[in-house]
Amino acid sequence: MRCNKDLSCSDLLFGLVVASLVMAQFAHADMVQLDDAALSEVQARSGITLEMELNMTADRLSYYDDGQGVHVEGLRVGSASGQDNGAFHRIKADVGADASLNLEYLIADRRIEFSDIRLAGAPGVSMGGFFFDHSLDGVLTIRQDGGVGGNGYTFDSAYTMTGGRLGYRTNGNSVFLDDITMNVEALGVTLDLVGNTLEVNSPRVTGNWRIGAIRYSDDPSVYGQALPSFGSFQGSYELSSWTGISPGGRSGEGLRLDHETTIHTASFLYNDDGNALSLRDITGDYQIQDLRVDVDQDWSGRPAVALTLGKLQGNLNVGAVELGGASFGSVNLSFLLEDQLFNGRTYSNAVYLQGGGHRDAGPQGMRLATEWSLRLADLSYTEDGHRVIFSGLQSWGRGDLTVNVTKDEVRNGTRFYNGLRIGFEGLDAGYRINGLRVGSDDAQLQGGTELLLALGFYPAYEFELDGHVTLGAGGAAGEGLTVNSDIQIRNGKAAVIATPYDEGAGEVPQKGLWLTEMSYDGQIRDMTLDVTEEGLVLATGEAWSSMDIGNVRVGSKDDGASFGRLQIQKYEVGSTTLVKPGGAGDVCVGGTGGAEATCGASGGQWEARGNEGVTIAMNKILARAQGDDKKNALLWESNRAVDGQGKPINNTGMRLLVNDIHTSDGGDFNGDGVDDNTYGIRTDLSVDVYQTKVTKKTDGPDSLGIVGNQGDEKIMVPGSTGGYRYVAEPGPGDRANRPLGFAVKAETRFKELSVSNIDLVHPVGGHQTVIYGAKLQNVDIRANLTATPIP
Amino acid sequence: MTVCGYDLRVLLMISALWLSAVQVSAEMAPLGDEALASVSGQGGIYLSGDISINELGGPVQNSYFGRCDEADKKCGARFAYRLKEGGGWMVLDEIKGLFAFEGLTLRVKTVDSGFGGDGELFNRDVIEIGLPDSVRFTDVQFKIAASSTARPTDPGFMQTDILSVEMQGDVIMQGNLLVFPDGNP
Repeated sequence: MRCNKDLSCSDLLFGLVVASLVMAQFAHADMVQLDDAALSEVQARSGITLEMELNMTADRLSYYDDGQGVHVEGLRVGSASGQDNGAFHRIKADVGADASLNLEYLIADRRIEFSDIRLAGAPGVSMGGFFFDHSLDGVLTIRQDGGVGGNGYTFDSAYTMTGGRLGYRTNGNSVFLDDITMNVEALGVTLDLVGNTLEVNSPRVTGNWRIGAIRYSDDPSVYGQALPSFGSFQGSYELSSWTGISPGGRSGEGLRLDHETTIHTASFLYNDDGNALSLRDITGDYQIQDLRVDVDQDWSGRPAVALTLGKLQGNLNVGAVELGGASFGSVNLSFLLEDQLFNGRTYSNAVYLQGGGHRDAGPQGMRLATEWSLRLADLSYTEDGHRVIFSGLQSWGRGDLTVNVTKDEVRNGTRFYNGLRIGFEGLDAGYRINGLRVGSDDAQLQGGTELLLALGFYPAYEFELDGHVTLGAGGAAGEGLTVNSDIQIRNGKAAVIATPYDEGAGEVPQKGLWLTEMSYDGQIRDMTLDVTEEGLVLATGEAWSSMDIGNVRVGSKDDGASFGRLQIQKYEVGSTTLVKPGGAGDVCVGGTGGAEATCGASGGQWEARGNEGVTIAMNKILARAQGDDKKNALLWESNRAVDGQGKPINNTGMRLLVNDIHTSDGGDFNGDGVDDNTYGIRTDLSVDVYQTKVTKKTDGPDSLGIVGNQGDEKIMVPGSTGGYRYVAEPGPGDRANRPLGFAVKAETRFKELSVSNIDLVHPVGGHQTVIYGAKLQNVDIRANLTATPIP
Repeated sequence: MTVCGYDLRVLLMISALWLSAVQVSAEMAPLGDEALASVSGQGGIYLSGDISINELGGPVQNSYFGRCDEADKKCGARFAYRLKEGGGWMVLDEIKGLFAFEGLTLRVKTVDSGFGGDGELFNRDVIEIGLPDSVRFTDVQFKIAASSTARPTDPGFMQTDILSVEMQGDVIMQGNLLVFPDGNP
């Protein structure tokens, strides 16, 4: 996707150059335009040079599609340093011996901006304004004859952009990319008209870019370097692409785009105060088929710029994800976005751009009525040569996303925060994963997606989502990110354990352990995200949530038998999480010792899990209750009365309440009158993909008909029936082919964990305390666990 | 306490199934992996490894708690609770030890056959916890005590140790624990 962005920038800049030439013609109407023949007569000389100060404004620029209009208002092209100054342009034109037109251009300190994008039929709201500052220095050569002969053209282009600044502004607040530099070389680009399709073929585009900062400003007149920054970004790429543009929208007039890109190599770096998170050795390709652009209406009849997609498929490889010189491993993603039936309803891929954003944030903002259908995706993770594939990921959804740049205020009754606010309104969505494959794409599909729970992901999830995530500039110190969010989920159905939805014979209902009729309200305040020397650090100021699970079901998510209702409340103040590359390293499992010999002598198994992997260090501070909304508590309710439709009614049954769970350092050591609470629950978790010992639990054939005895080890044999066999006494060669799984080395420790009370709550009789306080002190639990899917 | 009785009923059912699997299995033919293949839902995970509690000591360093090589300090974990407001505390103290196991499984499946014909009548989805064949206990120990305060560092702390437990060796745990909802949710 990044390359798509780069290409877009490339195309945009190319367009700007051409536009500059066009503008030059308008600005000097008294000059005589030179045609090729005339230019050819002056080739012996040094060509001609055009210089101008361009300052152009337009109140409105409109585009109509089937009578429906979109208007760009407040358009201005001029100097970036002053409202009334023009931007300096110098263009040298020359004609080569091969009749090519050679242009050298220098554009200094130019700003292109507009204040609003509005849609006819949506008065009073706009999508907001954009501005783009830049200086350009480049060459452009144009020759006749395109790639397919005939009357096409061939272009060679190379340019350097400096001093770039690209911003988005709503209601006086801006987020902008600052200090952009870019070098681009595109040689042999052909432009042809084939049938009614304008084809642009770029056989080789190379370049590099850097964004010095992404900044936030709540003052339209202030864009200085003192403003807080999200951090800086840089990258390089080499790619080739083909684009076809033809007339005709999804309905009536409009535009059709088809596009293919191959990424030969690319890299991406995020820098936060000098610490880099980098994606290296990126390769891939993607194809866009039948993307239509219309001015139309969305499914609710709201006027919009409609982007509707026929199909998008691709493959992306990231050779190494690195932080601080160490590697997490590599990642591969293949995906197909296409119409698909989910839950009896056909979902497609479309975005309807509208003005307005969040209704309380002001008249400027962006609303994206969005529908998506991820028909199939496979995500694989490889570390130290071991690969695990999360296979058959599907996702679908429909609803509104809103985008505003907001500032810290209560406006029209809604609380906003500094930063880029991404809102969710009535988003009805879901996803599911079919299973795991280990080793290769064609390996047997296995269970085990439950392992994702350790990372906070359910194997399958359907929900209705409202709320927002606001991304502010600046981390805990210097550059970084500050997150404030309020999320509400209704009618959630989340799988804790799930069987595949398709085992090869078509779609089947998933069985599992489900959290259904779930509602969730979660708030996060001042969570900072920084890349540091140690790793990626998330530090939460204050976070509280309540998850109310109407039924915990076994079997079907719709009508499986229920254990009853479960409510989980969380309240944390000052919790932190550190994510860093590198797994457990060398580990003695089931024994003790720091070397292979001593580990083996103690009855343990020595495992060298390599340099790659992931380590997560969490420090969760469970705060004491601050009322019924902010506390850590568990509630289980059963034997509820039912309504006329047979649905259980909450708070009519018997409840078991574990109330006010909190951590403490074990005393008031700073003398402020309350127990200190800085240590919390500290957990270090190192995760590797590693070969694990799996033994057969019963005699006879297993689920795939592979025969073995109880206690035999499972050994992988690629190409054999089932891909494995059972071995009674595996040798070193066999042990080298043990099945892959997740190896987790964990240590959890806390000084004190308390429960204020455990109550039984009768619907009529009220609370009756069973336990008047409990304390668990001085705990250090260490675990070496391996988790593999059950075949 | 009807509802409380219901809760107990669920626990009793779980316990009964466990006991059925562990102790009464001689009367039933345990389902092999092949037989399980005929039931729907073959997802799930297989866990192996070891878990240690306070092997070297915990994070608290004070007059009561310390590292395990400090002879005059306690290095195990401590759990205290009380059943009466303003009363004394029941305590599990000096909790420590190492557990190692191989082949603990977790999955959801439909039981609609087996169990001497009872499975067909049962015909429900269950959570199956496949017990590891053996669990190795190494230096597993704890004390049961009664204490005047929750924290051993609180003023007026007094404690009476009632009994100590120490476990070594392998425990055979065969069969499956089936957990399923029953009664009114």
